[in-house]
Amino acid sequence: MITLRGKLKKDPDVSNSKSQNIPSKRVSIRDKLLIKEAQEMEQTLPMTCQVTFNDPHCLYEFTLLIIPDEGYWCGGHFYFQINVPEEYNMIPPRVKCLTKLWHPNISEEGDVCLSILRQNSVDGMGWAPTRKLKDVVWGLSSLFTDLLNFDDPLNREAADLFSKDKELFGIKVKEYLIQFAKR
Amino acid sequence: MGDIEQDNSERADGENNKADKLFTLKKWNAVAMWSWDVECDTCAICRVQVMDACLRCQAESKKDFYEKQDCVVVWGECNHSFHYCCMSLWVKQNNRCPLCQQEWSIQRMGK
Repeated sequence: MITLRGKLKKDPDVSNSKSQNIPSKRVSIRDKLLIKEAQEMEQTLPMTCQVTFNDPHCLYEFTLLIIPDEGYWCGGHFYFQINVPEEYNMIPPRVKCLTKLWHPNISEEGDVCLSILRQNSVDGMGWAPTRKLKDVVWGLSSLFTDLLNFDDPLNREAADLFSKDKELFGIKVKEYLIQFAKR
Repeated sequence: MGDIEQDNSERADGENNKADKLFTLKKWNAVAMWSWDVECDTCAICRVQVMDACLRCQAESKKDFYEKQDCVVVWGECNHSFHYCCMSLWVKQNNRCPLCQQEWSIQRMGK
């Protein structure tokens, strides 16, 4: 396997010139962590998920496609943009849903309500540096199944409709799906 | 093991004086295992062995042996261990053990 450390060891001139020219530049902890985490994420990807790195040299920016195989959103194509900030893993990745959908925990603007993505939480359910990219992917895919939560909604209208009329809720989800999430 | 054997022989002696022993232990090898007295030996924050310098200290090109010695291990009351460097960054925003979510308080520090 080609690693940065191995490469620097083999080519001492590179590491020397770098540290001389820009002595204050820190090596990104995030990038070091992501080398392992991105690989692990791809190896443990749920059946319903696909990951695309827009730039193979940037492990901190990628798109996640979820195609749920059960539940209200079954068969839809839902795209998520995931950005891992420089301060990772002290702070969580930032997630935006690119596909418009009708979901109690995802707003129509694409904001996602998932406990492990919360930076500051007092209940111990939020982000922790022990979590990894694969946990984020599994969490997002579970929002369409196990983690679907109508009690603490981001899209209140969606949750209200569900409690009033489940059939109508299902119809509205399908309408959005056909209009925005076919491919 | 010894007790059982003794019990058997005593009972056998009582019942029949010339009863043969079921078996005799002629040789035995003791096998021991050891591990660090902590929940895990990898820092769950930077994923480097706690006995090595943390990812940050390694990245900041602390090539000197004594500089690396500065990167110590910290144990919480919950008995989870991390690099002191890693944990001090985390507790700034959330004073809980990231592994068990208990309130973080330091039990001891060192190597």
